[in-house]
Amino acid sequence: MAIAARFMGKIVSLFVMLYRRNLKFRLGFTIILILLTLGFLSFFSPTNTRTWYVAPRDRPPSLEYPFGTSSMGRDLFWELCASIRNSLTIAFVTAMIASHIGLFLGFIAGIRGGIIDRVLMFLTDTFIIIPGLPLLMVVTTVLKRYLTIPFLGMLISIVSWPWPSRQVRSMVLSLRERTFIHTARLSGMSTSKVILQELMPYVLGWHLVNFTNTILFSIGTESGLAILGLSILDDNTLGVMIYWALNWGYALFRGIWWWLATPVVTLVLTFVSFYLVSMGINEYVHRLVR
Amino acid sequence: MIRGSKQVLKYIAERTIVYVATIFSGVTLTYLIVKAMPVDAVENILFGMISSVGAVYDPESVILLRKNLYEIFGIGGSPIESYLIFIRRVFTFDFGPSTIAYPTPASEIVFKRLPWTVGLLLASTLITWTTGNLLGVIAGYFRDRKFARVLEGIAITLYPIPYYIMALILIFLFAYLLRIFPLGGGLSIIPEKFDLQLVLNIIWHSLLPAASLILPGALGWSFLSSRTLTMQTLTEDYTRYAEVRGLPGSHILRRYVLRNILLPQTTVLALSLGGIFGGALLTEIIFAYPGVGSIAYRAIFSGDIYTLMAVLFLSMIGVATGTYLLDLLYPLIDPRVRYR
Amino acid sequence: MEPSLIAENLKAGYRLSTMELQKEVEIYVDAVSGVSLTLGRDEIFGIAGESGCGKSTLIKVIYGYHEPSLILRDGSVRLYGRKGEEFDIVKLDRGRLQRDVWWKHISYIPQSSMNILNPTMRIRDHFAEILKIHRGVEKDEAYREAGKYLESMGLPIDALSAFPHQLSGGMRQRVVIALALLLEPSLVLADEPSSALDVINQKVVLTLLREKQEELKNTVVIVSHDMGVHGVLSDRMAIMYAGKIVEVCDTTEIFWKPLHPYTKALIESLPRLGDKSKRIGLGGTPPDLRNPPPGCRFHPRCPYVMPVCSKADPPLCEVRSGHYAACWLYSETVEAI
Repeated sequence: MAIAARFMGKIVSLFVMLYRRNLKFRLGFTIILILLTLGFLSFFSPTNTRTWYVAPRDRPPSLEYPFGTSSMGRDLFWELCASIRNSLTIAFVTAMIASHIGLFLGFIAGIRGGIIDRVLMFLTDTFIIIPGLPLLMVVTTVLKRYLTIPFLGMLISIVSWPWPSRQVRSMVLSLRERTFIHTARLSGMSTSKVILQELMPYVLGWHLVNFTNTILFSIGTESGLAILGLSILDDNTLGVMIYWALNWGYALFRGIWWWLATPVVTLVLTFVSFYLVSMGINEYVHRLVR
Repeated sequence: MIRGSKQVLKYIAERTIVYVATIFSGVTLTYLIVKAMPVDAVENILFGMISSVGAVYDPESVILLRKNLYEIFGIGGSPIESYLIFIRRVFTFDFGPSTIAYPTPASEIVFKRLPWTVGLLLASTLITWTTGNLLGVIAGYFRDRKFARVLEGIAITLYPIPYYIMALILIFLFAYLLRIFPLGGGLSIIPEKFDLQLVLNIIWHSLLPAASLILPGALGWSFLSSRTLTMQTLTEDYTRYAEVRGLPGSHILRRYVLRNILLPQTTVLALSLGGIFGGALLTEIIFAYPGVGSIAYRAIFSGDIYTLMAVLFLSMIGVATGTYLLDLLYPLIDPRVRYR
Repeated sequence: MEPSLIAENLKAGYRLSTMELQKEVEIYVDAVSGVSLTLGRDEIFGIAGESGCGKSTLIKVIYGYHEPSLILRDGSVRLYGRKGEEFDIVKLDRGRLQRDVWWKHISYIPQSSMNILNPTMRIRDHFAEILKIHRGVEKDEAYREAGKYLESMGLPIDALSAFPHQLSGGMRQRVVIALALLLEPSLVLADEPSSALDVINQKVVLTLLREKQEELKNTVVIVSHDMGVHGVLSDRMAIMYAGKIVEVCDTTEIFWKPLHPYTKALIESLPRLGDKSKRIGLGGTPPDLRNPPPGCRFHPRCPYVMPVCSKADPPLCEVRSGHYAACWLYSETVEAI
């Protein structure tokens, strides 16, 4: 518990410093905060966003309905808030699972080397070769009825863990050779202490980068699946909004562009903001390693 | 040269073994995942297939469908047995009959549409990679100039955008708002004979799908990694020494920078293949492009798991083969691999 | 003696940003503080001194190769080509230097490095590109010329088609020397040409440099902290300390009749054949060039220090014919130059 609190404290202070110093991080984080606020607002949504026809249909954006309404009779603003909440939840679940698996495996592979490394890397490379989307298409088609928000997050982590694993491993490898590690070991530090004290600052930074990138990947994948109709269609995620707009409302054909534009623009903002944050942390880690 | 050839042969042999082993383990892993599916979920698929709109199956066909399904999902029979059957089926491309075009075998349907996807992928990836490389080198060299910074800004925005979102944006802008490009399809004329008009028409319809794949690459991952590599290479001893020798900038960029980033850039390409493939599938669906993606979409719609399996394994083999071919290029690019 | 290089009052240093008390500050580190040199044709000139004395910076300034952090504050460098052409290195812009001066009239041999040649280019192409760009020679003819040239350098002909990683360190360094002498420039700057090599290769490289200089009769500047290298190669030498030249004269005089206290200590510390007595080093360390000491920069460590030494910086004066020293011990005897 204490270790977790210390980590959280370190992360918070890292964020604060990055916010002040790094433009990219500042920009990205601000947008993320806005998105998180919208997502949080969804808890106070006046209408149940899973029911249809609660609002007049096909209204363009106005003061009453800031993002307009859809053909299914929903206020797009509240639908957007719920979608952001769900999309980010799924992404968070995926990132928690996949980046930590990747951290664990990559670390072991990098530190131990030898046969363990080769076996783990072979496994990782094989998973990278399996095209993620087709695999998920098969899996979600079969498991369609069992899909829930967290479960979908778990499924996506099946195809998300190889990348963090590779990253962590290569970082551990490059750090392992650095003199300060040898010095620490030669001075009698036990291996676990070496890991915790010397490596942790770098590892934490990289882990955050991987975490953020996995969030990106997961949102992208879930939206892709949703457009195919393979997500949770009676709940709201950004991808599901696009699905309904395209398939049920034929939004483009009927000129109801705001139904499609809302989730697309939000998605783009989400991607760009998370990427900016990731880049910000990345730049910081690079300067550390120098 | 003889010494070099032996080195190369050894390398090819090594890569081939890795290639075969990777496909094999990929298939095995997929088998394990697939086998983990609960039985009643599988049964539901069958039910969904049989009762989907417009499907009429006689009892024999249903038995056949169930048999195929159970074999593929490893239900019933000993694990070893079902594994061996699975392996055999995959490597003979026997995925059972498709239900979207019953009783045509699933693999046949996918194969028919494969050329469209491969064509789109090859062309887009080639253009992305070469353009990204060149732009990255220029932006890396002139890093402080305004245009380089603008490019960097654009790339940061485009890089995280998935291909299909790019597709939606492009469709919105260029097929909806400004009606320049067609909203979809592969061609708009009936292919009677294979002539220039047909080819041009195909290309015209491929432009937006290709652009969806090219833009987030050429101004995305390819550009960004090329730029980073260029900035790194410019600080290398051998580049600095080339400047000292009075060699002009354009020569240095070509011979010292570009040549030396080709190898890591090829690695980047190999690692991106899986993602590009998935992105291509979705883009095809959005543009109703007649490739593997559209087939997959129809398969999902009618619950045709056989076709989906066919797509999965064919794409796995495709991506692995693509990576393998790129691996084989390494000795050509990097003399350090060719001669030890 | 017709000069090949006249450098006057060079002052250069580095602008760096460091952290001081949690804030980033920019400081200026002095590297070369008022160095003047005149080099003649057909001589090997050595520059000796310990790490950080400024010899590498001096070379860069003479060459005209400026990194972004290197700042030339004052001074001039005039280079004279084989046919008497004059080049004002400091005033020329990078483009002109690249096109007209570098490699044709002045070249540079860097310290041996693993990474100094393009890993994706064959050796013969390294030669061919120089011949093509600087002399307009076409590829096939360039290959032939390169082949003949390599033979004259004692390198095997099949090194031509090799890639750099296939050659040993010694061979690579010889290729680098060959590249530097290819266009027969009137001045060649060699920065620690043998320091990174093993003893055998050192001998080969140094012998090669000597032979080539005798053949081409150009000016070669050897920068090295190793006095042994200077003993073998250099005709004349300059000793540098803390950014200044403290002594200039014939090599034999440096070894047998050093004038400056620093030089004396340097020679004293060299091992001698047959003499088993303990070598005496010099106490203290070279000064911090962010804040050099006032007056003579050597005075904190000098065994002959006098009151004037901490107040004024001694100029470089000709104490004996052709023998210059910058020390207050000798300045009363001779007029400053």
